[in-house]
Amino acid sequence: MKRLLLCLVLIAALALITGCGAKKTSTGPGPASTSHTPVTLTVWHPWTVPSEKNGFANAVAGFHAQYPWITLKIVSFPDSATFDQSLIQAINGGHAPDVAISFGPDYVGQYAHDGLWLDLKPFLARDKVPADQFAPAALTYCQYEGKEVALPVLTDAYGLYYNKAMFAKAGISGPPKTMSELTADAEKLTVRNADGSIKIAGFVPIDTWEELDTTDLARAWGGTYFDTQGKPQLATDPAWASALQWQKQLVDWYGYDNIYKKFFSTYTSSEFSANNAFETGKVAMVFDGEWRTRMIANDGSKVNYGTAPFPVADDHPELYGAGRVGGTITGIPKTSQHPDQAWFLVKYMATDTNFLVQLANNLGNVPTTKASATSPELSMPPQFQTFIDIWNNPKSSYAPPIEAQGSGYANALTTFDQKWLAGKVPDLQAGLQQVDKNVASTLSVSQVP
Amino acid sequence: MIPRRSPAERRRARRRSALRKYGVVLLLLAPWIIGFVVFTAGPMVVSFLWSFTHYDMASPPHWVGLDNYRFMFGLGKINGQRMSDPNYWLSVKNTLFIISFGVPLRVVFSMLTAMLLTRPKRGVNTYRTLFFMPSMAPKVAAALVFVYLLNPTTGPINQLLNLIPGVHGNAPAWFYDPPYAKPALLILGLWGIGDAIVIYLAGLLSVPRELYEAISIEGAGAWQRFRNVTLPMITPVIFFTIVMGVIDGFQYFDQAFIAGNVSSGQTSILGSPQNSLLFYGVNLYQWAFRNFAMGYASALAWVLFAATMAVTAVLLLTSKRWVHYGGGNQ
Repeated sequence: MKRLLLCLVLIAALALITGCGAKKTSTGPGPASTSHTPVTLTVWHPWTVPSEKNGFANAVAGFHAQYPWITLKIVSFPDSATFDQSLIQAINGGHAPDVAISFGPDYVGQYAHDGLWLDLKPFLARDKVPADQFAPAALTYCQYEGKEVALPVLTDAYGLYYNKAMFAKAGISGPPKTMSELTADAEKLTVRNADGSIKIAGFVPIDTWEELDTTDLARAWGGTYFDTQGKPQLATDPAWASALQWQKQLVDWYGYDNIYKKFFSTYTSSEFSANNAFETGKVAMVFDGEWRTRMIANDGSKVNYGTAPFPVADDHPELYGAGRVGGTITGIPKTSQHPDQAWFLVKYMATDTNFLVQLANNLGNVPTTKASATSPELSMPPQFQTFIDIWNNPKSSYAPPIEAQGSGYANALTTFDQKWLAGKVPDLQAGLQQVDKNVASTLSVSQVP
Repeated sequence: MIPRRSPAERRRARRRSALRKYGVVLLLLAPWIIGFVVFTAGPMVVSFLWSFTHYDMASPPHWVGLDNYRFMFGLGKINGQRMSDPNYWLSVKNTLFIISFGVPLRVVFSMLTAMLLTRPKRGVNTYRTLFFMPSMAPKVAAALVFVYLLNPTTGPINQLLNLIPGVHGNAPAWFYDPPYAKPALLILGLWGIGDAIVIYLAGLLSVPRELYEAISIEGAGAWQRFRNVTLPMITPVIFFTIVMGVIDGFQYFDQAFIAGNVSSGQTSILGSPQNSLLFYGVNLYQWAFRNFAMGYASALAWVLFAATMAVTAVLLLTSKRWVHYGGGNQ
């Protein structure tokens, strides 16, 4: 609590000190700068691991070769979790960097709504940067309210990992493509102990189990969070009820105590360690990001695995191949002293094939342009291709949807889902109506004009 | 002959000397005053103003009058629609639970432990150090350790519990089962009562020997000695631990934040499982830093402040009836 109070007090103190005085705010671009006057650009990024920091520094060195008059002052921010909050404070205080790289698409809504990052559309148009070199999914988390404030620099894509050895043993020929196949395979692949508890789980369908979110399940039925007026529609779009019912059915098959109180509690904190449940053969299938391919190699796991898009509802075969995407973004804070030169760097990081390939090889994330994703220099295991395909699928998108108020509104569904799976929700429809109301309430009190 | 000064001159001289005196005092106090104004009083005033605004920490605060307070208690409409904090009363209930059970348990256990610690003839300091040590552990580290200790399957506590005949496999799931999540935090709280033990120990050791001798001569047993001498003499300590416990209880945050994060497996999820650990402070954090509603979070903070002040005032008023300060009838 003291930490929380300290945070509140510090933020208030900062606001007092920095005031709301006039700050230099950049406007749209003029003609491309032809000046070669030496300029130093400050760049903030949230990579903290030494290999990642060095990986970025090495990859971005190519920029200086192309623009020798621009020097980069690269600042690695010590805590990626508070990166965006600190950046906002810096922008309000007028000492933000010229270019920011953020892990947080969740903040794009606020960056656009409050005009904290420059709209890149005029720059993109002026330099005729082809929009189709990025997957359409990029727009689902780089723009908000018509302003394109960010460009993608590598991304995450999520799909299904499955244990090939376990599949062969159970006589299953390939990854499930529909949700009923997923259920059938999960049941077939599950191995129980003598007392009925779970030794190996076929698939853990619980929200917050590693990367899985109820939103990813609703996607299988084509569910969308908000209607065209921006109102939450979890109770009215039948996809949500279908997804929750599917989830509960499988949880009940395992037994709630078996799958949640015992299995989930045992392995949930091992997600990012070498004891990861999939890597150590405790689950046969898992919903995970592309980075797992790199972790499996780094952890020395012997798991023989394949990857595939996440299954879709039986009556929605057209959705197969899409999935959740979203990752690192870059943009220009409105207080940038050198927006023209900053744009050169943003464009370079978002579009330069060598840079993207080098960074992708270092970090193990999906390269975000078509050229970089097909580059022969890209060195990834064969299972990685699934994630490049998911990124390029026109139906893929970021979730939960970008809002100016962040993604905190999604917690209402997570808590509801915990109760639902525990059997504490007598009326699903009434419960979803309450979730809609809670989401609307959360968004309303955080709203600023 | 010393010239006589008029009353006005004398007043001026007094004022000058007072100014000189207070000037020095003010100068010496300046670091604290500046710190207090900039980091405490100023932000308090600002947060009070923010509590009447919608403010996302990025664009200027937008005045909404009492809307935040109405939203808190479910009394008003926003944009023409009835809206309220869905978790406000739940967070109040959870906080009252931790205060109602946590404070009495802390008082009773630290008092009993302190009484035990007055007994041993040898190794007294070792015991006192051992009991005090847990309260030195940072709250976050302690919470992390307890989530692992109380893990339903791999935690050593449940492995022991499951050895008991009849329990096998049915030991509580602690941070994975709402009815047991708050009791798990109470256990964590009892582990860290070392600071209170030390205060009780000091209180117990300062009870005058002659009072025990006098009551023993009158034939009182152990219970009567405790009831009629020890208990009344340490009421100031009991009162102090209650007041501090209640204030800490209102601000309960760190342990619940960590336990909810770790047990849900996601740092973005607060209050897990099923909001059973969503205390007032956790709800406030959620609004401020997850929902970007700094205006509403400020309103929550001010209501918390007012509630804490009110309860502390009530405790102070009742204390006259049952707290006996040393020095007999003085």
